[in-house]
Amino acid sequence: MASNHFDLIVAGAGLSGITSAAAAASRGLQVALVSSGPGSFVFGAGCVEVQNMDRNTPSLREALDFFCNLTELAGCGFRGGLEDKRYIPTILGCFQAVSLAPFYMWNGDPTAASQVAVVGIRGLSSFDSNFVAERLAYHACKLERSTAYTAHEIKLLTVADTFPGTLQFGNRYDRDPRFREELRNALLPIAAKANLIILPGILGLKTGQIEIESLEKQLGCMICELPTLPPSIPGMRLFNRLERHLRGAGVEFFTGFPIQQLQIENGHCKGVLLDTPARPLKLLSETLILATGAFSGKLLGTSFTSVNHDLHPVDANSAVIADNVFAAGAILRNSTARELNAKAILTGYVGGMLAAGVGVQYAR
Amino acid sequence: MRDDDVSLDNCLKCSDCNTACPVVTAHPAFPGPKRLGPELERMRREGIHCDSDWVEYCLSCHRCDLACPNEVNVSELIARAKATHKKSPSRRWRDYWLARPGLLGKLSTIAPGITNFWLGLKPVRLLMSMFTKITPARRFPAYSNSALRAPEVELNQGERVVFFPGCFIKYNQPELGCHVLQVLQLNGFKPEVANAGCCGVPSLANGLPGEARERAKANVNSMAAAVDAGARIVTACSSCGHMLKTGFAHMLEGDAELEKKANKIAANTFDLAELLMAQQDAGKLNTHFGPVAGKLKLAYHAPCHQKSQGIGRPWYQLLRHVPGVEIEDLNAGCCGMSGTFGFKEDKYLVSMEVGSELFAAIHTNAPQAVVTECATCQMQIEHGAGVSAMHPVDLLLNAYKHGARK
Repeated sequence: MASNHFDLIVAGAGLSGITSAAAAASRGLQVALVSSGPGSFVFGAGCVEVQNMDRNTPSLREALDFFCNLTELAGCGFRGGLEDKRYIPTILGCFQAVSLAPFYMWNGDPTAASQVAVVGIRGLSSFDSNFVAERLAYHACKLERSTAYTAHEIKLLTVADTFPGTLQFGNRYDRDPRFREELRNALLPIAAKANLIILPGILGLKTGQIEIESLEKQLGCMICELPTLPPSIPGMRLFNRLERHLRGAGVEFFTGFPIQQLQIENGHCKGVLLDTPARPLKLLSETLILATGAFSGKLLGTSFTSVNHDLHPVDANSAVIADNVFAAGAILRNSTARELNAKAILTGYVGGMLAAGVGVQYAR
Repeated sequence: MRDDDVSLDNCLKCSDCNTACPVVTAHPAFPGPKRLGPELERMRREGIHCDSDWVEYCLSCHRCDLACPNEVNVSELIARAKATHKKSPSRRWRDYWLARPGLLGKLSTIAPGITNFWLGLKPVRLLMSMFTKITPARRFPAYSNSALRAPEVELNQGERVVFFPGCFIKYNQPELGCHVLQVLQLNGFKPEVANAGCCGVPSLANGLPGEARERAKANVNSMAAAVDAGARIVTACSSCGHMLKTGFAHMLEGDAELEKKANKIAANTFDLAELLMAQQDAGKLNTHFGPVAGKLKLAYHAPCHQKSQGIGRPWYQLLRHVPGVEIEDLNAGCCGMSGTFGFKEDKYLVSMEVGSELFAAIHTNAPQAVVTECATCQMQIEHGAGVSAMHPVDLLLNAYKHGARK
């Protein structure tokens, strides 16, 4: 029972960090996931675009399949795949073309429904149903769809002296059965005249497939839930679900303390030092995956320029900086904003598999 | 914290802290750490009056600090807001006492039998709620009439360690302190008990940094010599451990000599399980665990101040290897007690609402007992979930006893 010795340390709990930890754990590795904050989950919902990528990118299909399966196991399943393309609405009233999306967004496509009710909540300033409905109708026209969008506003009992935000509603949805009932009753008359309801993201941070699909069944109507200003309730829900699943799969979480230093000696990384109170906590591992995002690449030093075909970080002369370190996700800085999530899943999956000694291909 | 500390400028308003805050989750009207921390501090620095009664609802659990991706000292900023906050006279009077468990302990253990008898009477508790705003719904922990002393068997060999007991072990559960000392002895240490008082966490949580500073000063002076002589400090209460590691040096900023001593103490302070796991890594842990009576199904609750120490889950890792013990980490958030918070009449309902997720997880898990190293978490779990709660060291000592018998 060595305390802090692992097969793999994953740094970063964003989309790529989570995917790589899951991939490695699925191959039997003892994984530690080190993070400070839930990555980009707090800003978005995790929709994946692959339209602009080469569909034959090595390992891409495998990675997306793995991710879909992972979310299904975590109780927050994604729909779609490499060949799919759907138009998902946003709170700014436009459509975003995606290939994969969480189940509670997938039905937002204008082809999925003919009568769509866009439902706002009185007092919730971050979602304007009139604005969204009008713009969606306009954009649906441009896409040559005849879907009708109508705006609605429901009134929910709010807590006195507060400006209700999506976080308040999300927390109450999780904890208060009366609030769930109130919301359902408010939506019922609207659902009777529509086959899709578009809502701001408020359906709980801890809910999952069972709870939301049961609400759809009670309403007799599909739901599409959109992330609003941070915190994104759907994004945090996905994160909470994945975290719970990974803990169950034996991944050890070290949350809240950034990495102070990688212990690289002679081109080999022995472990990391975490910036913990009193003295740094030392974690040892055989391999390390750096998925710390676009803004914190400093750990590898200034010489880090990109990665080679095995995802090892290399310097300007293509010399490997550490032979047991892999870099994944936005730290690679080789993605456009649109393909960021797809690349995060791809490199996270490839990194996790390579760390587990499984031969998978990665082409830059 | 200095006024020129600019960590608040790192706040991107991402709301990770609000999402992680147990009070925001449970109490929809609570403005949240983002507002009460960095945003109020910014106004204070501009000289704008911005006091809010809500700062009293901060549990000082440090979950916001752990959630922040940009290392803003959120809870510290809220502690500053608490220090400048004006309370009503009745709450100020109550918090004067709650902030000083050491003083309360000293007075109550003069005649513990009488104290316990009085505190156990329902009419007395109702009077206390009327005059001191302490909830009648809870029972005060019983005070003990025995004192915690270093073990009588003199061992001349073994590494010297100093056990920092904290108020709860000192005044309420000295037998738990004895168990800590025995486990240390069983692992070849030569333990002694620190001549120390309250760590200062309750004072800080109740908005009295001056009092906390006095406690820090006294404790640092009483332990500095031992640390200089090479001894390590051991804690068994997660809040004391958190304070020794993060609070003392910070509280004593401005006094270079004391700060240096405090930093040295922090660097040499170990949670008991952290120390034992370090022994394990060095191949020196006593692993003569015997199977505890029958099969024991337990659930582990990690106190917030254990998480904030950044030491992983040493107790959980350790107990998993005790034969006959089946243990699961509940991972169900904060218990809501937050030391003295749950005793306050006006905060009682919020405290219970925060804990409801943990209580539900305990009911689903249906363990024979919950294991957690924080005394007030134990109180809250027994009160809210109706399941007995114990300190992990009791279990470990029991396993050693069964191991010796084999």
